[in-house]
Amino acid sequence: MSVLAAAPTEIYESGDSALRVVAISEASELNWLTVHGLADWLESCGAEGLHGAVPTYDSVLVEFDPILVSARQVRAFVKLGLLELGRSAASAAAPREFDVPVVYGGEYGPDLERVADHQGISVEEVIRLHTGKTYTVRCLGAPAGSPMMDGPAFPKPVPRLKDPRLSVPAGAVAVAGRQAVIAPASAPGGWCVIGQTPLSVLNIRREPLVPYKPGDILRFRQIRAEDFSGFVGMELEPRAVEPHALEPLTSGAQP
Amino acid sequence: MSGEILIQQPGNAVVTDLGRTRGPRFGLPVNGALDQYSARAANILAGNLDNHPLVEITALDFRMKATTDILIAVTGAPLTLTVGGRPSSQWEPVSVRAGETVSIRGIHRGLRAYLAIHGSIEAETLLGSVAPDTVVGFGLQLKEGTRLLTRRSVGPVRQPYFDLPLFRLGLDRPRMDSDLLVDVTDGPDVAEFGESGELLFTSEYAVSGRSNHIGLRLGGELPERTSSGEVLSRGVPVGAVEVPSREELLVLHRGRGVTAGYPVLAVVTSTGLDVLAQARPGDKVRFRKTTVAEATAAHRRSRAHLETLRESVNTVFGLLGIGCRPQWQDLPVAACS
Repeated sequence: MSVLAAAPTEIYESGDSALRVVAISEASELNWLTVHGLADWLESCGAEGLHGAVPTYDSVLVEFDPILVSARQVRAFVKLGLLELGRSAASAAAPREFDVPVVYGGEYGPDLERVADHQGISVEEVIRLHTGKTYTVRCLGAPAGSPMMDGPAFPKPVPRLKDPRLSVPAGAVAVAGRQAVIAPASAPGGWCVIGQTPLSVLNIRREPLVPYKPGDILRFRQIRAEDFSGFVGMELEPRAVEPHALEPLTSGAQP
Repeated sequence: MSGEILIQQPGNAVVTDLGRTRGPRFGLPVNGALDQYSARAANILAGNLDNHPLVEITALDFRMKATTDILIAVTGAPLTLTVGGRPSSQWEPVSVRAGETVSIRGIHRGLRAYLAIHGSIEAETLLGSVAPDTVVGFGLQLKEGTRLLTRRSVGPVRQPYFDLPLFRLGLDRPRMDSDLLVDVTDGPDVAEFGESGELLFTSEYAVSGRSNHIGLRLGGELPERTSSGEVLSRGVPVGAVEVPSREELLVLHRGRGVTAGYPVLAVVTSTGLDVLAQARPGDKVRFRKTTVAEATAAHRRSRAHLETLRESVNTVFGLLGIGCRPQWQDLPVAACS
């Protein structure tokens, strides 16, 4: 990653224990890099009383203990962090890639047809658009560290359900607005569920609890409903970086 | 020597602490004791660190048996506490002998009580906290027959004359009524509600039965958003007041999903969140506007009370030898004033 000039920001009070920092440049990519860079800096600066930061697309919620640190001091940390971002070259780790097998439609994706109807395209076209894109994990959201991503190139934003479901199963692959997501755990939800992955995403016995982090790359791949059970029990894991991917292949190197 | 208790009637009780502060970064809510003041007070009264695991009891009756000598403290909602059949004081340390039953009954005002045990409770952690997370399926919900281990046993500490209560530490107890006054500061999106935002301070709201640790749902006159359009998902603070539907106001509590796409009208203060933690379905809530500076000052005053309490407890426990002489027997008269 090249030298990053931080986007201009605005800081809003969000109660007595949090601030919201919003990046307001015209460039959404720069806004995203700024709020994630700031969150990383705040995490690593080790300031007493800072609980942590929740970065999303263009904003980051900075949480603190108001007994140990004042909102004014946290503002000063934020400004310092933004200056540091502009000054130093951010060296982000190379993104890892994840392949996500998905059964679309039917019981696995109860809203697939609704989405197709609303978009005025066929079900096949919805699947083609959803699988035809490389997704960058923008942030970890609710519930349970969901990978929040920019959605597929649908003609229009996808409206949320009027009556949110009381329970959406783990592995649900959903879209709403211009966003896409996988649900790591069963939870209530108002997004349109178009499919489900049989892989388990969340593992509370290991840290981190979900295998991806912001900046990593996901791809969706259609599988048949009859193949669903074959994947059950397997975990979502980054695609292995094969040694020969780093060097040019020499002929005859593979058996 | 470690201690042990056996749960006989769990009601609705979990082992928790002050929360998973590292959680939000990974998409997990902070969770933890909803009434943080009462939870801290219970641990301080039991001679523990503020963040030690303790039991949160919500609404229903609870009973347990000590299988070793222990020292406990019960805070939170007013209730009837008996130890070995004797009426005992809430908001004070209470000595429990091996074989005695601790019974907590009759939570009618307020909703949540906290039971801390000297030496705290052994429980599994996730990202450094024992607090249950219902979404990821983590936590220790107590059941009949659950055995909890404490790191210490404390020999009986009893006033030798007339069995009077041993401790009178005189802590400020939070008021618990069915009319709640909750302080809020302006939210980051208050402008999106225009003048209707003022309704929050002129209306009275009723707590819905669909409220829980994730959020409280309140019925009443609702401010309306004047802007429209999709909001990108953003981190939302605990205490965020939102208007997601035409029916109810939503106030997010410690179990809240860390990101959401609704504008934040106001944010409940730290002390206000403790008040809401004790709200029962049907209770009336009024909101009062304050500033971050005033809210922080109020929060610090309340914490200062707890620091004074900690000093008194340390002094008394030092005199009684609690924590240093586990086999302490009856007290010299001089130690009981």
